[in-house]
Amino acid sequence: MSSPGPETPVVLSLRGVSKAFGAVQAVRDVSFDCRGGEIHALVGENGSGKSTLLGMASGFLAPDDGELEIDGHRRRRGSPAEGRRLGLGIAYQTYSHLLDLSVAENLYLAVPAKDRPPFARMAKWAAATLAEYGVDLDASARVGALSLAQRQFLEVVKALLPRPKVLLLDEPTTALGPQEVQQLHALVHERSRAGVGIVYVSHRLPEVLEIADRISVLRDGVKQGTFAAAGMTEDALVAHMIGRPLQQAFPQRDGDGRVPEVLLDVTGLRGDRFGPVDLKVEKGEILGVAGAEGNGQAQLLRALAGVERASAGRAACDGASLDARSPLGALRQGVVLLSGDRMQESLFPVLSVRSNTTIQVLRRLAPMGFLNRRRERRTVDDMAGRLRIRMASVEQPVQSLSGGNQQKVSLTRPFLRGDVKLILADEPTQGVDVGARFDIYEALRAKADEGVALVVKSSDPLELAGLCDRVVVMSRGVIVDEIPGHELGEQRIVEAIVGGRAAKVEA
Amino acid sequence: MRSRGWIPLVLLAALIVAVGAFTAVRQDAFLTQYNINNLLLATMPLALVAIGQTNALLVGGFDVSVAALITMCVVTASFTLKPDETTLSLFLGAIAIVGVGAATGVFNATLIRILRLPSIIATLGTLSILEGASLLLRNAPEGEINSSVIDALNTSIGFMPVAFVGVVLLVVLADLWLYRTRTGMAVRAVGLDETSGRRLGISTGVVIFLAFVVCSVMASIAGFYSAAEVQIGSPIIGDYALTSIAAAVLGGASLAGGRGSFVGTLLAALFLSLINNVLPLFQQPAEYAQMTIGVLILLALVLYQAPELIGRLRTGWRGVGRLPTGEGEAPAA
Repeated sequence: MSSPGPETPVVLSLRGVSKAFGAVQAVRDVSFDCRGGEIHALVGENGSGKSTLLGMASGFLAPDDGELEIDGHRRRRGSPAEGRRLGLGIAYQTYSHLLDLSVAENLYLAVPAKDRPPFARMAKWAAATLAEYGVDLDASARVGALSLAQRQFLEVVKALLPRPKVLLLDEPTTALGPQEVQQLHALVHERSRAGVGIVYVSHRLPEVLEIADRISVLRDGVKQGTFAAAGMTEDALVAHMIGRPLQQAFPQRDGDGRVPEVLLDVTGLRGDRFGPVDLKVEKGEILGVAGAEGNGQAQLLRALAGVERASAGRAACDGASLDARSPLGALRQGVVLLSGDRMQESLFPVLSVRSNTTIQVLRRLAPMGFLNRRRERRTVDDMAGRLRIRMASVEQPVQSLSGGNQQKVSLTRPFLRGDVKLILADEPTQGVDVGARFDIYEALRAKADEGVALVVKSSDPLELAGLCDRVVVMSRGVIVDEIPGHELGEQRIVEAIVGGRAAKVEA
Repeated sequence: MRSRGWIPLVLLAALIVAVGAFTAVRQDAFLTQYNINNLLLATMPLALVAIGQTNALLVGGFDVSVAALITMCVVTASFTLKPDETTLSLFLGAIAIVGVGAATGVFNATLIRILRLPSIIATLGTLSILEGASLLLRNAPEGEINSSVIDALNTSIGFMPVAFVGVVLLVVLADLWLYRTRTGMAVRAVGLDETSGRRLGISTGVVIFLAFVVCSVMASIAGFYSAAEVQIGSPIIGDYALTSIAAAVLGGASLAGGRGSFVGTLLAALFLSLINNVLPLFQQPAEYAQMTIGVLILLALVLYQAPELIGRLRTGWRGVGRLPTGEGEAPAA
C-alpha cells in the first residue's frame, strides 16, 4: 500500500482530547488524525485508552476536554447518531447486534433514513447489500445463531452502510481465523482505495504491520508517537507499547531441583469433544496444552475441574480418585479452574476487588462469624501488592479494571486458599496487556515453585514455550504430540499444531 | 419472534373459544346480547391499561403506578365530569383527566430516564403518591359521574361497544407498526439491547421516555372506562397493576423487554375478563378467577420461554459462541 500524500483531506481529527472515569485518567491530551484513503492503526496494551479514544471519536463518550472534527465538521460532544450523520462508521469490538433479530433487520436498523428501502423490500435489499460487500450470510438468519466470525463481518457491513468517510475498526480480527483475516483485510483495502479513511485498532501486531500505512501507539492514555508502518518492526512497536524492551518476559524456570512426584494422573478420560486422554502432571510442573482453537483443550480442563462432565475414564489427584462430578468436589481436593471467561465464570463483576479477592476465604477472616475488616483489608492489600494489581482503590468494582488486572484478581484466590494442589488455567492471559502478562506468569511460576501442579491451556505458542516445563499438543480431542522442556520453542509448538501428527489424526 | 410470536395469540384465541363454547352450551345467560355487551365493556379498562403496559414492557420496564393512576383518574372524573355540566366544561374535564395521565407519565419517565431509577421502584413510589392523593380527594366513594358521558362511552351497536371496535383497530395497527416499520423495530431494539440500539443511532432515551408517557396516557383513558363502570368517584379501584402486566405477559410480552404483541395483550385482557364473567354464571366464587389468573401466568411464562430455556440448556454446555475455526468442528468419534 502506498501511503497517501498529505494532500488528501483529513477525515477524522482529534485535538488534545482527554477523558477520565472517576479517578482513572483513561486518555490524556491525545491528538490523532486520519486522512481519506489511509489506514491508520492504533495500538496499545489493554487499558491504554484505545477504546476510550474510539468511544469519543464515535460520539458514544463525551470528551472532558479537546476538540474533534469529522470530515471537517467540528464538534465538542455528540451522539453516535450525529457521528454517523457526519460520516463516521464504527465496528465495535463487542458488536452492536440485536441477537434476537435477523441479519436483515439488524442491517435495516443500521442504515440511514435516506438509503432505507420500504419495509416490504427489506429482505431483498439486505441480501443485495451483503453481496455488495462480498459477505456470505443468510439475511433471514437470527444474528444470535451466527458464529462470532460471521457476526464480525456483519458488524463491519453495518459500519459501512452509512457510506462513511472514516471507518473505525475496533479489534476486528479477534474472532477471525487466518483466512477470514485475509478476507476482512481485502474488504478494508478495497474501502480505503475508495477513499475511506480507516482507523484500525488491534492487538495483533503482525496484522497491523501488514495492513497499516501509519501506526500510532498509546500507553497509559498518552500517545507515544505516530510512525510510518514501512520502517516499523514488531519489537520496536512493543517497546513503545510497554515502555521497555521485551526481554526477560518470562520468569526463570527453576525446576531442576524438583523431586518428580506425580500429582495428577489421568487415564482414558473422555468427554464432550475430547478423549481418550492419558496425562500425568508432576508437582511443581507447569504443563502447557497447545492446539488449534476448538480441539477439546478447554473441555479437558473443564472436565478435570468438574465444570463439565467426563463420560469415561479415571483421574486421580495426589493419589486419591478425583471427584469431578461437580466443581465443589474438585475444589475440595484442591483443584482450581481459572476460567477462560473471567467475567462470566470467575468474577463478580459489580463487586469490589476486596470482595472478589476474599470471597472464598471469608471463614478464615471471620473468627467469630463476623468479618474482621482490618484483617481482610491487610490480606487484600498484601495480595494486590504481590500480584501488582493496578486499581484506584480496593473498593473499585472489578468490571472497571483492565483485563489484566481482572485476571490478577481471579488469581488471588488460589494464592489465598492454602490447600490448592492443581491449578487449571484456561487462557490465563487472554485480553491481558503485555506488562500485566509478566506479572501473571510470575504468579503462576511462584505457585509451581510452592509445589502446585499447573495445567495451562493457551492459544499463544510463544507463551507456552516461555512459561511451561512441558507442552502437550491436542488435535481432535486427543494428545498428538508431547514436547519436553529442552525442545520447547515457539516454532516447535507451531509445527506440532499444524504438522504431520495432527494431520494424521484428521485423516 | 417469527413463528414463536404466534403461540400466545393462537393459544389465547383457542382458550377464549373453548371457555366461551363450554359456557354457552351450559348457561343460556351467557350468549345474550346483554351479557356479551357487558363482557366487552368490562374488558375495556383492562385492555386499555394493558396496551399501555405493553409499551413499558417492550422497552424493558414495568409500570406499577397504573393502578393508582386509574383510581386518580376516576376520582378526578368525579370532580371534572359532574352531572349537569355544559358540553364545553365536560370536554375540558376530559382533557384534565388525560392531562393527569400525561403528567404522571412524564413524572415516571423523568424518574426512570433522567434520574436513572429502576422502573419498578420509580413507579412504586408514584403508585403510593397517587394512592394517597386519591384518598385525600375522596376518602369514600362519592361524587356522581355525568351519565351522558357514561352513555357516550358505552355506546354500542347491538352487542358490540363502538369503543371496543376502536381498540381492536388500535391493536392491529399497533402490531403492524411494531413488526412492520423501522420505528417499531427500533422500540423492540431498545428493549432487547439498549447499548446496541444506541450504537445503531437510535435515540434510546427518547424511546423509553415516550413508552412510559404512552403507558400512563393509556391508563388515564382506561380511567374513563373504569369511571363509566363504577359511576362514582371511588378511591378504591381494582388492582390493575398486576393484571395489566399479567395480560401483557399472557399476550406474549417478555419481562426482559423487546418482545410483545398488542393483539396478544387484547386477547389476554378479553380472556381474563371472560373468566371473571363466567365464574358467577356457574355460581362459583370470584376468588377462583384470581387463582386461575395466577396459575395461567406461571404456565404462560414457562410455556412461552420454554424454547429459549431448552436452547440455552442445550447450547450452554457446548460453549456456544466459540469459534468454529477450521477443524475442531466435531470431536473424534
